[in-house]
Amino acid sequence: MKYRARWIALAAGLVVTVFAVVLATQVGTDPRADANKSHLLGQNAPALDLPTLDGGRVGSSDLAGKIVILNFWNSWCIPCQEEHSALADFYGRHAGDPGFAMVGIVRDDTDGAIRRYVAAERVPYPVALDPGARASLEFGTRGQPETYAISPDGVITGTRFGPSSVANLEQLLAAARGQR
Amino acid sequence: MSRRTVAWVALAAVVVVTLAIVAWPRGGKPSAAQRVQSVSSELRCPDCESQSIAQSSTETARAARADIRTRVAAGQSDAEIRQAYIDKFGPSILLKPESGGLGILVWGLPAAALVLGAGGLVLALRRWRREPHLRPTEADRELVQRARPR
Repeated sequence: MKYRARWIALAAGLVVTVFAVVLATQVGTDPRADANKSHLLGQNAPALDLPTLDGGRVGSSDLAGKIVILNFWNSWCIPCQEEHSALADFYGRHAGDPGFAMVGIVRDDTDGAIRRYVAAERVPYPVALDPGARASLEFGTRGQPETYAISPDGVITGTRFGPSSVANLEQLLAAARGQR
Repeated sequence: MSRRTVAWVALAAVVVVTLAIVAWPRGGKPSAAQRVQSVSSELRCPDCESQSIAQSSTETARAARADIRTRVAAGQSDAEIRQAYIDKFGPSILLKPESGGLGILVWGLPAAALVLGAGGLVLALRRWRREPHLRPTEADRELVQRARPR
């Protein structure tokens, strides 16, 4: 091949250019950006059947037809503790609505620690345990706190990773009502 | 056959045998436990940094290992299991980049750079070989001798 060195230099330049384009378009964007959003948004919520702290059970059949707010949390999680008052205020606003339900799901904690926290902080909404972390896995949770809004027809309409304010929770509720 | 040709043939044989040994499938069909281990080690633990589901001891990682075990027992392929986790968590759940889409650049660019580097090296070696091998003349030796400090 004539001018072989030139062809190799051209090909090397092409590789460097492609590499530069990839760097320019990818650097600065978090490669794990999709870790901060739920990929289940707009999909049917996974089925639930969990034991509650008071000895009962909460399942999809109990929640069907209602707007459901699920909050995954742990007692040792500082952001969870920080959002507790917002969750309690928000629940107080809507607890009287028969079409509304809210459940706190414990991701990874001991029974004793949860009972002490719930008693000390007077957590007003039902708290469910997730033995084996099955629900945490099914919902694709990556940590805590994570909050999910589910519409009456069982579709995940909103998610929030990290602590929520009352305003955030109202937004999730509005989305579940189809008022977004 | 010249000595040079024999050397090239021997080198090619070594490369082919090495590649064959590396690429040859080992041990036949993997067991269910091996598949669980293999898939678990390719997936990132959802709630911890830079650890695979196989390595992590978090509750979610343990749940994921149990889930993968169930899926393997149910007859799902490795690709189907990986896809189920991508559907749930997104592509960032994969510890290794995908071999399609933009991910192909991650695999392809180093290979392309390697091929180009090897090509460049071959060209450079050929060029150097073509250059005359200069030997010092008597005049050169005298010049060096004179320049040396006494």
